[in-house]
Amino acid sequence: MKYKKHSKFALFALIAASLAFAIVFLNPVQAKPPVSKAEMKKQMNILLKAVKKGDDLWHTAKLGTNGLACGNCHPDGSASNPHTWPKYQTNLGKVGTLREMINWCILVPMQGPMLDLGGDDMIAMEAYATYTHRGVKIAPAKDEQHGAVPVKSGPGYPLK
Amino acid sequence: MEKVSRRQFLGMSTKAGAATIVTGIFAPSLNSMIGFGGVAQAATKKIKPFNFAVLTDAHLYDINDHKFDGILEKAVSDVNKISPRPDFVLYAGDIGQTGLEAELVKGKKILDKLKMPYRIIPGEHDYYLDMGKAWRGLYGNEHWSFDHNGVHFIGMNSILVKDFWTAKKLTPHERMAWMEELECHKCGAWGVGSEQLDWLKKDVKNLAPNTPVVIMTHSPLWDYYPRWNFQTYDAPDIRKILSKFERVVSIHGHVHQVLYNKIGNISSAGLLSTSWPWPYPPIKLPYPDVKMNRADPGDFEDGLGTHNVALKSDFAGMMDYRAFSDLLPANLKRGLKI
Ligand code: HEC
Ligand SMILES: [Fe+2]
Ligand SMILES: [Fe+2]
Repeated sequence: MKYKKHSKFALFALIAASLAFAIVFLNPVQAKPPVSKAEMKKQMNILLKAVKKGDDLWHTAKLGTNGLACGNCHPDGSASNPHTWPKYQTNLGKVGTLREMINWCILVPMQGPMLDLGGDDMIAMEAYATYTHRGVKIAPAKDEQHGAVPVKSGPGYPLK
Repeated sequence: MEKVSRRQFLGMSTKAGAATIVTGIFAPSLNSMIGFGGVAQAATKKIKPFNFAVLTDAHLYDINDHKFDGILEKAVSDVNKISPRPDFVLYAGDIGQTGLEAELVKGKKILDKLKMPYRIIPGEHDYYLDMGKAWRGLYGNEHWSFDHNGVHFIGMNSILVKDFWTAKKLTPHERMAWMEELECHKCGAWGVGSEQLDWLKKDVKNLAPNTPVVIMTHSPLWDYYPRWNFQTYDAPDIRKILSKFERVVSIHGHVHQVLYNKIGNISSAGLLSTSWPWPYPPIKLPYPDVKMNRADPGDFEDGLGTHNVALKSDFAGMMDYRAFSDLLPANLKRGLKI
């Protein structure tokens, strides 16, 4: 009887210990104390660097072969409508993602080679589109041509 | 010249033109077309009816067989087919993209296929590589006026910015590359400048107030969306100089879209490009019914087109947006009253 109790406790202790181990060592996010403001700022700055890279890519003719840049037709990233994706898009002929549409616009209006869908350049281009539309309500497939969030001056994001 | 704020200007023009400015009749209704007027203009000088065509924003590149070459060619042959044949053609700027002389020469070669004479003004894309030198060599004066069948036509260069390049030691190519970006936030607001304002004052000094006037600039003569230079910083001065006239029609390029506004005695219409359409900026349009449909990026001609403007004897006008694809909502299919 006594022995049985002990073994139950031991089993419980073992499970608890391994759970704690899993949480502490296998899941680093959970293990951290709540993310500090300073840490969030650091993370935001890393994002803004990607946004800046995306801005440069949206404004270079190097992605295509006919001199055009995305910025020719999408000032401030307007009319890319990041809040509406994924959706069915006629030119894609299927339910596609913002990244696939970015690639389509490289391929067709700009006659350039498509980017790696998971590559840093593509992620940066997506980051620019979503950042310039921050706060816009997610609206899958909404028939809407949305302008970028209006900014008084500067590039549209707080990074020199 | 003394700067006049928009509010001051509006107050002034109301007093000065109270007898002739009829508000209300110009306001669009949902089912009707938009009015540049013609209803209560009994006093306006009678003109001999005629029509003219307008083209703009070809943005040609110095690349052989570029798709925009073909679109400008198409626009020119479209205008050549308009019946009755337009008396002349106006071109509202941005014939080139990066200011290279080769682009401007290519544009001139294509425009020279027009069967009627044309008048042209520069856009920012024609200008900031060599500050308009090649453009002037090919096309002549940056501002001009002429009279036709009783209408006074004015063209002005509205894309002059303050020097942002010397202090930053930019090369001409860098200066041009900055200006090429619509949302360039380091280039500043543009306008016509004091010299052209003085010229304009002299140009219209001896004209009677009942003279019908058409003015063409690259950018709109009102604050539409300054971040994209959808504005002309000294437009209030221009509007003040033109406030003595009963009715002025302003047409402008640069916005690559169907657009309308009316301030005092001046009604203003935006133009379709022959390169790419631009999205509407994130503001409320003053006349939301005058708006084109979204363009299909898979159709390179969607969002583009030419224009035919017919003026009647009382200066009532109709601007026909001749879109290459199915771009216009039903209320604009038969034209925009101007
Ligand atoms: C020659 C003009 C042109 C160029 C250059 C261009 N696009 Fe587009 N793109 C368009 C037009 C026109 C649309 C349709 C806009 C609309 O739906 O209102 C569009 C649509 C899009 C859309 C989808 C919008 C929607 O809701 O369906 C995305 C995303 C996009 N473009 C991204 C890009 C990117 C990124 C580039 C550069 C790699 C680029 N585009 C280059 C003209 C262009
Ligand atoms: Fe243009
Ligand atoms: Fe322009």
